[in-house]
Amino acid sequence: MSGHRVAAITRRLLQQFRRDRRTLALLFVAPIVILGLLGYLIRGSSSAPAVGIANEDQGPLGAMFASALQQSSLISASVIQASDGDAKLKDGSLVAYIVFPADFSSRAQAGTIAPDVHLEGSQPGTSGPVLQALQQALSSVAASGPGAGLHFAPQIHYLYGGQGFDTLDYFGAAFIGLVVFFLVFVITIVAFLNERSQGTLERLMATPLRRGEIVLGYMLGFTVLALVQAAEVLVFSLAVLKVHNQGSVALIFGLEALMALSAVNLGIFLSMFARTEFQAVQFIPLVIVPQVLLSGILFPVSTEPKPLQAISNVLPLTYAVNGLRDVMVKGADLTWASLQLDVGVVAGFCALVIIAGVLTLRRRIA
Amino acid sequence: MAEAFAVDVDGVQKKFGALRALDGVTLRVRTGEIYGILGPNGAGKTTLIRSLVGLVAPDAGTITVLGRRMPDVDNLRNVGYMTQAAALYPGLSVEENVKFFAAVYGVDSGVDDALKLVELYDRRGSVVATLSGGMRQRCSLVCALVHKPKLLLLDEPTVGVDPQLRVQFWEEFRKMAAGGTTIIVSSHVMDEAERCQRLGLIQYGKLLAEGTPNEVRARAGTNNLEEAFLRLAGTGVPS
Repeated sequence: MSGHRVAAITRRLLQQFRRDRRTLALLFVAPIVILGLLGYLIRGSSSAPAVGIANEDQGPLGAMFASALQQSSLISASVIQASDGDAKLKDGSLVAYIVFPADFSSRAQAGTIAPDVHLEGSQPGTSGPVLQALQQALSSVAASGPGAGLHFAPQIHYLYGGQGFDTLDYFGAAFIGLVVFFLVFVITIVAFLNERSQGTLERLMATPLRRGEIVLGYMLGFTVLALVQAAEVLVFSLAVLKVHNQGSVALIFGLEALMALSAVNLGIFLSMFARTEFQAVQFIPLVIVPQVLLSGILFPVSTEPKPLQAISNVLPLTYAVNGLRDVMVKGADLTWASLQLDVGVVAGFCALVIIAGVLTLRRRIA
Repeated sequence: MAEAFAVDVDGVQKKFGALRALDGVTLRVRTGEIYGILGPNGAGKTTLIRSLVGLVAPDAGTITVLGRRMPDVDNLRNVGYMTQAAALYPGLSVEENVKFFAAVYGVDSGVDDALKLVELYDRRGSVVATLSGGMRQRCSLVCALVHKPKLLLLDEPTVGVDPQLRVQFWEEFRKMAAGGTTIIVSSHVMDEAERCQRLGLIQYGKLLAEGTPNEVRARAGTNNLEEAFLRLAGTGVPS
């Protein structure tokens, strides 16, 4: 063991990094960006879920509960009509609504507190605050009125999913698309960079090949691989992991395929901005991580701070994730306006990166 | 008239930043000629060759290849280009590489003949990554001539090739030239320059001298091509 020789290696390594500004930036800027984003996402989020309250109680108790709930800090409550509730769950403006039925007061006198709790159900963890707020309301109402000995028995209804619906069902739907998008992107960008670094791209440029032919050929080749991968991921998720699926398998596969196509072309496009495979790998924290954080995979877009929502709403991955969840969790089909939008945005993004890839592939590589 | 010259470079200039890679180069290569571009490293040889296939866009001047103004993508089917480093797909076999380039140039025959030409036929199944440098160079050459181009551009083709094979390469070049193929070779090996019909000496992006090897020697007043080159290039040899 020679200290000199070890020091030589250490010094050489640091010297290399000194010239590689991009890597340095990544090393010191990326963690701040990613952690900052995460912090802002979690702390800055409007954490209180939007809950609707419909009071149909013919007695006085429903109104007392309703006002107690409106003061609760756990939820952000608003008064709605019970008949509008499902529509509001569907369009995402509410995560739950509570109905105090006509016989609420009379049943309470018999000792049972039985509000109807309607949960959207696709997002795990939203039922907690709603039930907690109800419990709080119960204790504050009980303190001022009828007294103890009441039996709390909310009737819980799920619009989607159900009691057996777990975190994997929620995340699985999004990850089916994400896994394909991410892996296909990495493989394409590295393969295309190889073509550059081994000199064969230069050689291809000196043949009658058109730029469009190169991009299209790449696209077809990788699409074959990506589709096999997408099919494998889908079969594994549905058959082995038994991820909840309400919708058409063909539709899920179609969405996956669109994501794979986008990933191939995004890889070709971004490979123009990297000179080495090392630099290409650096696109992962820059391109992929913020998209994962902001696409609604982990945190629903509707609970993000407003400025981040604006970013989320222009990220194609947001629409892809939303589309996959709509199909798998809610059983959406192409007659749904929201799914049409999702598919449209992903397809549009796909077309955009194809064009970008063709345009940036320059024949003259000076 | 256009047919007489396979390549017509007229007043071509190209700058990369402050560097004048080509500084007003004018030269004409006749059909069926073996033309050597000579010059030290960094003289502009590779830039000149790349500009002939449209990989470098001149800032000024015109380039006409096989009677057509460049850049012209369709015209490239008549041109073969062997890059300086053997640019091949290391994960493919020799035959797969050659067949790929043949397909790109739009031909589907002649692969076997081309492989036999450089004695790679027996190794056609070998994956390129496992080949020696000289074999890769041979494979690279096959990829450049499998489509029987009318113009063959070779950027230092014999780097890493042993003397025996180098002789074979040159015999082959001569045969092709006799068959009407125009060949432009860049080199800084004088022994190769000797085999060219005409030479162009390049330094600092300028064509310093042009002529047959004998003419170049005569002009420099020496019997040695290497010395002639050094004299004409202005660096001189200590007398």
